[in-house]
Amino acid sequence: MIQFSDVSKFYDNEAALSDITLTIEKGEHIYITGPSGAGKTTLLKLIYAAERPDKGTVSVAGQDTGKLKQGAVPFLRRTIGVVFQDFRLLPNVTVFDNIALALRIHGIDSKEIKENVNDVLASIGMKHKAHEFPRHLSGGEQQMAAIARAIVSKPNVLLADEPTGNLDPGTADTIIKLFREINLRGTTLIIATHHDALFKNTGHRVIYLKEGKIEKETKD
Amino acid sequence: MNTLTYLFQTAVKNFWSEKRINLLTVLTIAVGLLIISAFALITLNIDLTLKNWSGGFGLVVYLKDNISAEEEGLIKNHFKKDTDITSVNYITKEQALKELRQTLGSATHLLEGFESNPLPASFELKLKRESLTPAGIKEKAERLKQFQGVEDVQYGEKWLASMDSLSKGLKVLTVSLGSIILIALAFVTYSTIKILFYRRADEIDTMKLLGASRSFIRLPFLMEGLFIGLSSGIIALSALFGIYAVTTAKTAELIPSIKSFAVFFPPAAYPVLPLGGALMSLIGSLFAIGRIKY
Repeated sequence: MIQFSDVSKFYDNEAALSDITLTIEKGEHIYITGPSGAGKTTLLKLIYAAERPDKGTVSVAGQDTGKLKQGAVPFLRRTIGVVFQDFRLLPNVTVFDNIALALRIHGIDSKEIKENVNDVLASIGMKHKAHEFPRHLSGGEQQMAAIARAIVSKPNVLLADEPTGNLDPGTADTIIKLFREINLRGTTLIIATHHDALFKNTGHRVIYLKEGKIEKETKD
Repeated sequence: MNTLTYLFQTAVKNFWSEKRINLLTVLTIAVGLLIISAFALITLNIDLTLKNWSGGFGLVVYLKDNISAEEEGLIKNHFKKDTDITSVNYITKEQALKELRQTLGSATHLLEGFESNPLPASFELKLKRESLTPAGIKEKAERLKQFQGVEDVQYGEKWLASMDSLSKGLKVLTVSLGSIILIALAFVTYSTIKILFYRRADEIDTMKLLGASRSFIRLPFLMEGLFIGLSSGIIALSALFGIYAVTTAKTAELIPSIKSFAVFFPPAAYPVLPLGGALMSLIGSLFAIGRIKY
């Protein structure tokens, strides 16, 4: 379970998030939406401890991320898969090695890494791209590779920041279907997006952010 | 493949992908190590040469003319007990005079004015090389002077002191110069690893966000520093051996005897240079990476 209790975050005395109180249950599929600068990315960053709250507490699986010691941060992050807005794929290594990195960080042996990476690449239909470098991939393929890296270690929580940002509708649909499958396996899924088409009529909880505050919460 | 093997492979890949800056660093460090080792080799050779020269060095104990057999016996007994003395040679008054005549050659007429033999009998003592210290010999000489029947004790005090200070001076100079160069070499690695660390800042951030531990991020950089130091040491050692071989061969054409006393480092000392380089580079790398914050 993820719990925000009266959380505020400031950058240069400007509030990126103000007095956020929010509970996300285990296995939930939730969307965070709002215009640019509403605080969606900051909210996600607070979950994987890339930012610490200036006020209030953020609790992830019972751990107060604001009080987390430096040495404990990597262990928290290994339980969370993140699909970054800018993909953050390592440019000098292949798609296979980019995905394998997440498992290597977990200290998994090479045989298991090979099996898991090949499985995840097959599930997203990118096995034939395993030995390509990110620069040779299209935007959609890079996004798929970033998702594969985020899910390969079977995290408890998957965060996706604008996962369909610059993708064509076809690729975006594929990605959303993939997310649904991942969520059905029990992974808590939090997607930050400003594309309302993604969550319309899905029946999932949607949190609307505006100027760092929760404007409303619906079940579309 | 375990994590350590993966990190080692990453370090090798990174080392190769940044080959220009790494090669430049390796050569810079190799030159520094070559200077230190060349200085150490010169010092070693000078030190050995001085020790070889001092092999014939010893004490001369001059005896009084009226020394009794009992007093002479006591002195001989003392020599037997002293383990620093390797040989004792007794020179009678007559032998001393004979040697002097031989030394004077055609100038023996200088001795004609003497009615009797003016030269004393003496003991010539040879000492162990490790006992040839100014302080040690002085103490021995003072003790021998206390014996009844000893007229005087002589040794090359000034020469021994000069030789000793020259040897010590060279060692101090080598150690001081070596320390300064080693610190500079650590700084060279520090700068290189710092540059490489900044160049890979995005990659490091990504790894941190994926949950990589500090050691997972640090180890490839430390290994890279280690490669730099090790390869620099190997290059420096090979270059030193090459220079030594060429120099002794060329000098031997002019001074053939150089081959009998010029020495290179013993094989047991060969790893010192690569390992020393590796250690200093590792220290430089550690400081360059610093504390990784999440």
